[in-house]
Parts: sequence; structure tokens; C-alpha cells
Amino acid sequence: MENIFDIAILGGGPAGYVAAERAGAKGLSVVIFDKRALGGVCLNEGCIPTKTLLNSAKVLEYAHEAEKYGITVGEVGIDFSKIMKRKDKVVRKLVSGIGAKMKHAKAEVVMAEAVIKEKRGSEITIEAEGKTYKAANLLICTGSEAAIPPIPGLDKSQILTNREILQLKELPKSLVIIGGGVIGTEFADFFNAMGTKITVIEMLPEILTGIDDDIAKFVRAEFTKRGIDFHLGAKVTKLNGKEVTFEKDGKEEKITGEQVLLSVGRKANVAGIGLENIGVEFTPRGVKIDKNCRTNIPNVYAAGDITGFSLLAHTASREGEVAVNHILGRKDQMRYDAIPGVVYTHPEIAGVGLTEASAKEKGIEVEIRKLPMAYAGRFVAENEGKDGFCKVIAGKKYGEILGVHMVGGACSEMIWGACALVEMQLRVKDVQEIVFPHPTVSEIIKETIFEF
Amino acid sequence: MAVPVLMPRQGQSVETCIIGEWYKKKGDQVKVGDILFSYETDKASFEEEAKAEGILLEIFYTEGDEVPVLENVAVIGAAGEPVEEFRPGGSKPVEEVKTETVVVAEVVAEKPTVAIRESSDEAVKISPRAKKQAETKGIDYNQLQGSGPGGRIIERDVVTAAETMPVMTSLAKAKASDEKLNVGAETSGLGGRALAGDLTSNNQVYSTDFEVKKLTNIRKLIAKAMHASLQNSAQLTHHMSADARTIMALRKKLKKDFEAGKVSQNITINDLVCLAVIRALKKYPQANTHFLGDSMRWFKKVHLGLAVDTERGLMVPAVKNADDLSLEGLSAQLSAIAAQCRQGNINPELLSPEAATFTVSNLGNYGVEMFTPVINLPQTAILGVCTIVPRPKDLGDGIYGFVPMMGLSLTYDHQALDGGEATLFLREIKEQIENLTI
Repeated sequence: MENIFDIAILGGGPAGYVAAERAGAKGLSVVIFDKRALGGVCLNEGCIPTKTLLNSAKVLEYAHEAEKYGITVGEVGIDFSKIMKRKDKVVRKLVSGIGAKMKHAKAEVVMAEAVIKEKRGSEITIEAEGKTYKAANLLICTGSEAAIPPIPGLDKSQILTNREILQLKELPKSLVIIGGGVIGTEFADFFNAMGTKITVIEMLPEILTGIDDDIAKFVRAEFTKRGIDFHLGAKVTKLNGKEVTFEKDGKEEKITGEQVLLSVGRKANVAGIGLENIGVEFTPRGVKIDKNCRTNIPNVYAAGDITGFSLLAHTASREGEVAVNHILGRKDQMRYDAIPGVVYTHPEIAGVGLTEASAKEKGIEVEIRKLPMAYAGRFVAENEGKDGFCKVIAGKKYGEILGVHMVGGACSEMIWGACALVEMQLRVKDVQEIVFPHPTVSEIIKETIFEF
Repeated sequence: MAVPVLMPRQGQSVETCIIGEWYKKKGDQVKVGDILFSYETDKASFEEEAKAEGILLEIFYTEGDEVPVLENVAVIGAAGEPVEEFRPGGSKPVEEVKTETVVVAEVVAEKPTVAIRESSDEAVKISPRAKKQAETKGIDYNQLQGSGPGGRIIERDVVTAAETMPVMTSLAKAKASDEKLNVGAETSGLGGRALAGDLTSNNQVYSTDFEVKKLTNIRKLIAKAMHASLQNSAQLTHHMSADARTIMALRKKLKKDFEAGKVSQNITINDLVCLAVIRALKKYPQANTHFLGDSMRWFKKVHLGLAVDTERGLMVPAVKNADDLSLEGLSAQLSAIAAQCRQGNINPELLSPEAATFTVSNLGNYGVEMFTPVINLPQTAILGVCTIVPRPKDLGDGIYGFVPMMGLSLTYDHQALDGGEATLFLREIKEQIENLTI
């Protein structure tokens, strides 16, 4: 008698490994496939390595600014290869940590490319390395990869994506970044700190689409001061090796970088995994799911970037959990109103819920309050000469917290609190009763809420 | 010496009244003539004045409570005087209950401390304590099944409902109580909480696109009366029109007379039509009747009902012995009852459908050309008066001209009158209007 797994998981990223962990903990038998490495893009070529690099940039910034805090340091320098090695070490450590988790969950890990073959009755067949695996449920979470737009002259070997840039051996003297989204902006910050000359070419009128407009402006102004060049509303029309041609206000400009980073978006990995073999509904943008992360095929679920929206590791993990809970018959569902968004630049950006622009777009009547970070004592104590602000968006009629957006300091660490406010639909007057620890930067949320 | 404040009796048929608003608080000093509270019958609202001076020692019924007439509503007396002897049903004081444990409170709440009359039109029976609890907790008590005597909702029911209902987020609570919504079948919030988006009015199809408003008492009464009328009679309508030249000329003259101070009232077309109708009824007494199934009341006098449109709804007050009145007297009475209806201080006795023997409903002012008025049972007929429109008419010698014609729509109960009788009666009204003299 062939072994039938309770759940087969395609993809070992934040959706897949978290789902495997949760399912294993509930006693389900799990098989999880990944063609590259456990941890997915997030752990191997996304969240974790970039945060490791950005922390080196932060330490460097401290060293440069030590004087301001009355600390004398010797000559400050950087060792790029050491920085990159430390990043590799962090990634290795966390990847092996996931391996341990999979063992703990008694999940069978198959490090190979897997293809969905067929679904017969309640039995789903997956093939990997010539072996077949059968499962009662399937979770598809094959993630996404850097989108490569059809720019004339684009030669993949001449440009970098988030994957290749993390493998650089030498620090480039100049870097042209096509696409000023979250990924582009974080790399801009890191390499700028390392001393690389950065040029960002963004097609839209502002960088960091989706982030609060005031915050995007604030960060761009900050980066401009540090010497980063921005070309907004600029469309790349041609690539010639590492020479980038772009059109702005009807004029054509050319710029050449020692390296060119392409970070214009992500593309769902829907091809080559056998979605069509069992009739899963999908478009090139992604697989369609419902609030329980179900696809159109019974017992087949999808989670993470493959869905084509909310491309965030934490969304992926949550979707994986929701899918497992649905398999287990536990009441749970996705809610996308309180998913935080964080950019780990210096200063950090963190936000949740509606922005001013999205409220306007949806026609929701809101009230907005904004306060400088300087209202939080600890921020002043720890951020000499630095700035930032907090913006809170509340419903006009009932005063429910709809959005909290911050820039400055380590605001990513406190955004989860704002997520809880939004998730719980607390109103301004409810939040006013919450005790915030003093002195912390988080008090800025309370201060801003008292502005209502 | 403490004295009770009674719920006044407004007319013989009124058995309970609902307290609208208290203008005085417990502990307030009141003087004779101070307005204590407002209250409503099914048909009108009134204000109760203090008849004694002193301190408002206790209030037994709060706003929205339905109170039997002549029941003690409050006590006025000197500070410190005992009030318990006046408490309706003689239960324990509410203050004491509040300090006791929940279990004891429940037992007390179970006693029929507040007699809410079992009214036929499905008023929700709920104790004041339970109601207050429900309002604080944001629970829609209309949906609760009462476990108290006679299915009355008591505190225990509200407490149980609060425990079993899904937890609502603070926004959902505020929105639910504000917009009178309920938690839908599915909740989507954290840990099964009900989010504001999970709220629904009862109808799932329209979701939250409407709000549920309770019918006012008067609306309920109208609804019941109208439905009953169509269900319990065999009504149909005949239409006819009357040459309005005479009546218009009369009206013109009377208006001048009024402006010249020769008559005391500004006589309206409606007053003149009513006069014509009264005269017609005297000739056709079979239309001046009540149909009672196995018998009919044939009235000697004409008690004329007049449909009055008010902010709160349709009212049909009666002018008693209208056939005894002069035109000026009739006009004065018609405008007086209409005004009283609009002000809400009409004598409820006059609103009873039994008070009138025949009703006139005039929609002429609104430009209605023809309609089918609904009989105010047990009356046997009702006249709808329509707008005046020019129509061609043979003026004699084959000469046609446009003449102002007033539409008349007579609805009658075929159980009581036959078509021939009704037609003759309607003709009589027409002729009375066409040949009206004062």
C-alpha cells in the first residue's frame, strides 16, 4: 500500500515551511519540495540577506556619526567581502534552522523540482526526480522571481537581479538601479552607504509605490542628501550592456553603471509546475485563491507570492497557516486589511492599513493626524540630528484606526502593535486607554492618536 | 404627604400609554403645572403636568415603557418620605436589586414588577432592566426569545445572549448600535470576532444597504386598519365629476366676504364639498351607516370624518353632529380638528373609526384626478374628492365649452350598499355640489 501524505507542499519558502511546521504540529503527514533551498527567496535572496547587509550599513553609519554622540573612533573602513561572508553565514544558519524545524515536524523534505501530475478522486500525484508522491491535499507555494521586462537590448548576463547582486564579490563603484520599489530602494541604501555611486531610475512619479506619499518623499529627500540620484517618471527604453537609456520628459538620457540592478517587480512562478495537469485556475499574474486560500480545485491550496498579490513573506506564512487550518477544519481566514509593510532603509519605513491615497481612492472618509518623531523622547535621545514622523488615519464617523504609517528609527519593530489596532478595529478613544511604555519610540503612536 | 403621579386615562378605549420623555429627574423640585413627562397613545402624544408640589421622589417607569392607564408612574412628596407603597406591583426597590448579586437580581427581575400590557400588535415585551442591559451591551433585543412570564425578555435572556453572541470589535459594536445592524452568520475577525464588515441588517440580499426602522404606533395602527379594511369588506369605487362653476363662484364670494369681515371663517372648497356631502347623506341615509356583519347602524345624525395628513401619518378625526352646523361652524370645526391632529393634541375619542359615520378624503389640492379611497371600517362608504380639471361640456344648443369639473370617487362596501344605491348617492353629491346654496 502506497503512502499517501496528508499534505504535499510545493515550495519551501515562508508559505511552505510555515505550513509544514503547523501541519506537522497537528499530526498531519507532510512532504515538502523545493528545487533550490529551504527558506525560499525570503531567506536565501531576499529579506534575510538584505537585512544582514543593511545592518552592516547601519553599523557603518554609527561609526561615522559616533562623534555626534561624544564617542571617538579610529579610522572607519569597510571590508566588503567580510560583510558578504557574514551575510552568507546568517543565511546558512537560518536555512539549517528550517531544516531542523522540518525534522521536528516530521516532514519529508525533497530537494528537487516537483511537478503536479494528476488528481484522481481525492488523490493528488506529484512527481520529483522520477519518483511519485501521493497526497490528499496540496499546497502550491512556488513563489516568485524577479520580473524581466522586454527592454530592447537587455542581456541577462550583463545585469543583476536581487539574486546575483547578493553574490557580488567586488563592491561596484557605481550602480544603476532600474525600479525604485522596496527592493531597489533597500539596495540603493546599502550600496550608497558602502560608497557606491547610485542612480535610481523609476518609471512612476515617486519611488516606493504603495508606501504613504509623504514618507516616500521624505526618504527620497534624505537619500538625495546622501548623494543618490533619482530619475522619476523615467522609462528605460534600451539597454546596451551596462549602458541604460531612458526617456524622461520627452528627452533621452544615457547612463552607464559598473553594475545594473533590475528591480522592476516580481513574476509569479506558475510555469512548469503542472498547474494545468489538474486544472488549477491561474493567469500569468498568479493563481486565484479564496479567503481560505483554496484554488478552484478541491483540496488544492495556494499561498504566498504565487497568488500574485501582497508579495510579502509574512503574508505568505499567514496564507500557509490559513490553508493548513482549512485542511484541519479549523475556522480561519485571510484578512488583508492589517498586513504590515516595512522597508528596512535607514530611516526605516513601516506602515499598515489604508494610506491617505488609498482612502481617497476608495472614497473612505477619514481624518488624518501627523506628528514628528521628535515627540517621542527616546527617539530624540537616540537619533541625533535625525527626523521622521508618524501618520495615523482614522475613520471620520467612528474614529476607527484604519492606517498607521511611520518613518524614522527602528519603526519596523513596533508596527505589529499598529497592526493589532487595525485588525481589532479599535477606535481612537479605545487606543487612548492603552498604556505605552515610557520612554520608547512607540509612544509616537499614542501621541499621534491623542492629536485626534 | 407623598402623592403618586398617575398615567392619565386618555379616552375610554386607551388602556396603556408609552412614556415619551421625562422632563424632570428623580430628586428634582417640581411645582404644580410643571411638565413632568410626555406620553403617547396609539394616536397622539400628550404632556403630563405636576398636580402636586414637592420633590420628585421616585420614577417607576422610564422612557419607552408602556404603562397601563391609572398606574403609578412616579411619586411627588417631601424629601425622605417612603415611596414603596406606591410602587406598581409592590416589588423591591430597584436600587436594592442593583447591589445584590446577579443571581438575586435575576430572581427579582423575573417577578412581573412592571406590568407591560400584552398588546396585540407584537410589541416586544421586555423588562426595563433587561432593556437597559441590552442597550448597554449593544444587543438587539427584538431578536431575543424571552424566558420570563408570558415570553417576556428578562435580564437573564440578555446576559445569555451577550455570552453566546460573537465578540464584536469596538468599531463593530459602535456601528451595530448606531446603524441598528446585527452580526451576520459568518464572522471574519481575529479569533472569530465580528468585524464591522460582518454586520448585516436582517436581509442578506441587500446586506447593509438599508436600516431597519421600527414602526411608530400610529403607523402600525394605520397599517392594521387599512389591511383590515381591504380584507373585511367588499369595496369598490365609482367615479363621477361635478360641474364646479357654482362652488368656485361661491368660494370666491365667501373669500371676499371673509376679507371684508362679513363671515368669520375663510371657507374653503373642501368645506363647501363637506356641506354638500352632509346634505346628500341626509337624503341617502343608507350611506350614513356602519356595517356590522349581521346588522347595520343607521345614524340619525351625520358625524363627518375628515382624512388629515400629518407628519406622523394619516389621521381621521370626526366632526360630531356635523349636520347641525352652519357652513361657518362646519368650517371652524374642520379646521380645528385638522390643526389638533397636526399638533398631536386631538381627543383620541374623535379618532376612532366608530366616531364618524362617513368620511371625506380630499386630495384635490395635490392634483389627484382619480383615486380609490379605502373605507374606514365599520363605515360603509368614503368619498374621495379630486382636483378640478377643465372638461368639455354641452352648454346647450350644441355649444361646447370647457367647464371646470371636480372629480368625485366614492368607495363603498358592496356588502352594505348596492351599485344602484351608491350611484344615486354619488349623483346626489354631484347635484348638491352643482347646485349648492347657502
